[in-house]
Amino acid sequence: MAGDPYAALGLTKSATDAEIKKAYRRIAKADHPDLNPDPAATARFKAASAAYDLLKDPEQRRRFDAGEIDAQGQERPQRRAWRDHAEAAGNPYARSYGFDGDPDLSDVFSDLFGRRGGFGGFGRGGPEDPRDFHVRGQDYRFSLQVDFLTAARGGKTRITLPEGGDLEVTIPKGLRDGQTIRLKGKGGQGLGQGGPGDAYLTVAVAPHPDFRREGDDILLTLPITLDEAVLGGKVAVPTIDGPVNLTIPKGATTGQKLRLRGRGINGGDQQVELKIVMPAQVDEDLARFMEGWRKDHRYDPRAGLKTGG
Amino acid sequence: MARHYSETEVVAILEDLDPARLRSFVAAHVVTPVVTPDGPAFTDADLARLQLLCDLSEIYDLPTDALAMVMSLIDQLNTARGDMRALIQAVASEPDEVRGRIQTSVRRLRIVTVEQG
Repeated sequence: MAGDPYAALGLTKSATDAEIKKAYRRIAKADHPDLNPDPAATARFKAASAAYDLLKDPEQRRRFDAGEIDAQGQERPQRRAWRDHAEAAGNPYARSYGFDGDPDLSDVFSDLFGRRGGFGGFGRGGPEDPRDFHVRGQDYRFSLQVDFLTAARGGKTRITLPEGGDLEVTIPKGLRDGQTIRLKGKGGQGLGQGGPGDAYLTVAVAPHPDFRREGDDILLTLPITLDEAVLGGKVAVPTIDGPVNLTIPKGATTGQKLRLRGRGINGGDQQVELKIVMPAQVDEDLARFMEGWRKDHRYDPRAGLKTGG
Repeated sequence: MARHYSETEVVAILEDLDPARLRSFVAAHVVTPVVTPDGPAFTDADLARLQLLCDLSEIYDLPTDALAMVMSLIDQLNTARGDMRALIQAVASEPDEVRGRIQTSVRRLRIVTVEQG
């Protein structure tokens, strides 16, 4: 203790024994190193407790006041701080503090730090031997590109793992872009009795040249001929499970939507949008017919447009 | 092997500790002696813990049931602090890119940003 023990307690020489005790308790409450992590508080507490040790005994205090002993010689040889031991690994008083019961985090937590006694679970030793070191294997994360039809219909694909070896992966029917497939136990090897980790495959579904997808519905734009549009008829339409006959109604037009019930994914539909496609060349016959037809059957599909052309 | 102290030695070393108080701490399970062929024994860490228990009893006049509660909270805090220290050291030794991701994630979860005006 460097300075005046009375000053360390915030007192003067005239303080009574009761005032000394009270002052020490006040400082200890605020600055005890096991309760206050601030280094300045620890320094204040050390000075105050050394001062208190010297002054609490009336005879010793009298000798100090008379100059027979000095403050220096009365310092405690060592003060034991519990905190120095408390953070150490393997401290038998270590306590769980709330993650063991967390449904989302308890596994991550116990992988890192193991399990500990809860409230009331005092006692050292226990069944856990610190030499039995169990850690679950690492989780692997990969991206997996799946073609449109495999994602829609389900199926199997083989992947090659970055660290070597390949793996057959079952693609569930109706897999969506951005979804994750978890392969339990296909991650890294664990240590001790810790099981292997899992592999997570984040799926990217490649676009299809014809099919698009909207939830469980499949969208397709179907080109039809001029005569199919005028006369109607049955045409073969591709679906994700193969071609299906579709009846085009008489007078069908571009943009008109037809629905194939149950031909989508998991009970969804296939929506077919019609698109009239002209023949590659307009021949003499067609041109002549249209000229005659136009004379008597003029119609204006633009009548509804508000902004005249 | 850690040094062991008998009950008599512990009471002699710690000024504020007497046999009755030591027995009440053991009965309240706030300190747990090691069982040896020569009877209950205490480690250096137990000595430090007993010092804190004496301090808490002296400073706050805590009854033993309240002392058990306070020690449970202190133990939880110290365990969390030790875990946190280990985790921070592990994070510190990761490459910048990993530290950046962890920082972003922790900030999103723990720091509230208030938009100005």
